[in-house]
Amino acid sequence: MRVPLERKVLNENDRIADGLRQRFQSQGTFCLNLISSPGSGKTSLLERTLGHFDRSRRAAVLTGDIQTDNDARRLARYGFPVRQITTGGACHLDARMVERALADWDAGELDVLFLENVGNLVCPTSYDLGEDARTVVLSVTEGEDKPLKYPATFHHADLMVLNKIDLLPYVPFQPTLACEYARRVQPEIEILEVSCTTGEGLDRWFDWLDRRL
Amino acid sequence: MLVQYGLHEMSIAASVLDALRTEAQSHPGARVTRAGLRIGELSGVEPESLRFCLEALVSGTDLEPLAFDLEICPWMRRCRGCGAEFRVVEANPLCTACGSADTEAAGGDQMELSYLELEEP
Repeated sequence: MRVPLERKVLNENDRIADGLRQRFQSQGTFCLNLISSPGSGKTSLLERTLGHFDRSRRAAVLTGDIQTDNDARRLARYGFPVRQITTGGACHLDARMVERALADWDAGELDVLFLENVGNLVCPTSYDLGEDARTVVLSVTEGEDKPLKYPATFHHADLMVLNKIDLLPYVPFQPTLACEYARRVQPEIEILEVSCTTGEGLDRWFDWLDRRL
Repeated sequence: MLVQYGLHEMSIAASVLDALRTEAQSHPGARVTRAGLRIGELSGVEPESLRFCLEALVSGTDLEPLAFDLEICPWMRRCRGCGAEFRVVEANPLCTACGSADTEAAGGDQMELSYLELEEP
């Protein structure tokens, strides 16, 4: 006997993510999921962002890594609530990890919650974390064709931050090509070119955030 | 509670078996002999890797023998101008019918349990 179904494999994750999304919306919290390869600059972008924020801004970060709390310690210096999720092997954050991390954490009412995913351009893609928007960080020391190699990740992103543009004179990376590939995969994607080292382009990133807070 | 694995297809496979056991509960006494899955090209899941993980997780359990049928669902877009739905090839988002660039996402991120085949006692 064949029983037809239409059951989402990750419906348990999606159910938890929907609950988180409702909670964020009712509290007026903008939640951003940051995804990239290891070393593209997610933590540097967050350091720049927290460093730029006025202390009255209600911001917090949940940062995911397979091991160590190095990123949380880097980010904690800016005086905002930061918590490390150590996945102990898992290559992505899932909604339950976020829910658990929030359950016993009194970060107060938030304007913005950053979810820094585990550095990985494949696995985090499938997991809704209840975020309002998804940002993929690409850096110029990688290949321009990453959007074509990892279309699922770029297809689900609202914003691509192209980081390390201060290194463009020293690497063969062609930004126009990277942007063209990203727009082929996701025609609506917004793209910002920045350097977290020199600060170039970060004003546009801060504007992008401000429009959502 | 699902165990977490480094390879995300392993986590996905564990979710598949979880979903399968839940669905099978509505048919007490029956055993599942085959499960159909729909996996989209944009789901972020590598089908052969998923199959490997499913077989590894089923091996030696009460679910064995259990066959999996993986249907790959293409990356699709729809033209806002002429309404055509088309398969996206080489990440080209332009409408294959009229050439318009005004197109929207129309599927390819599925990750679904599509059917179960059951043997009644």
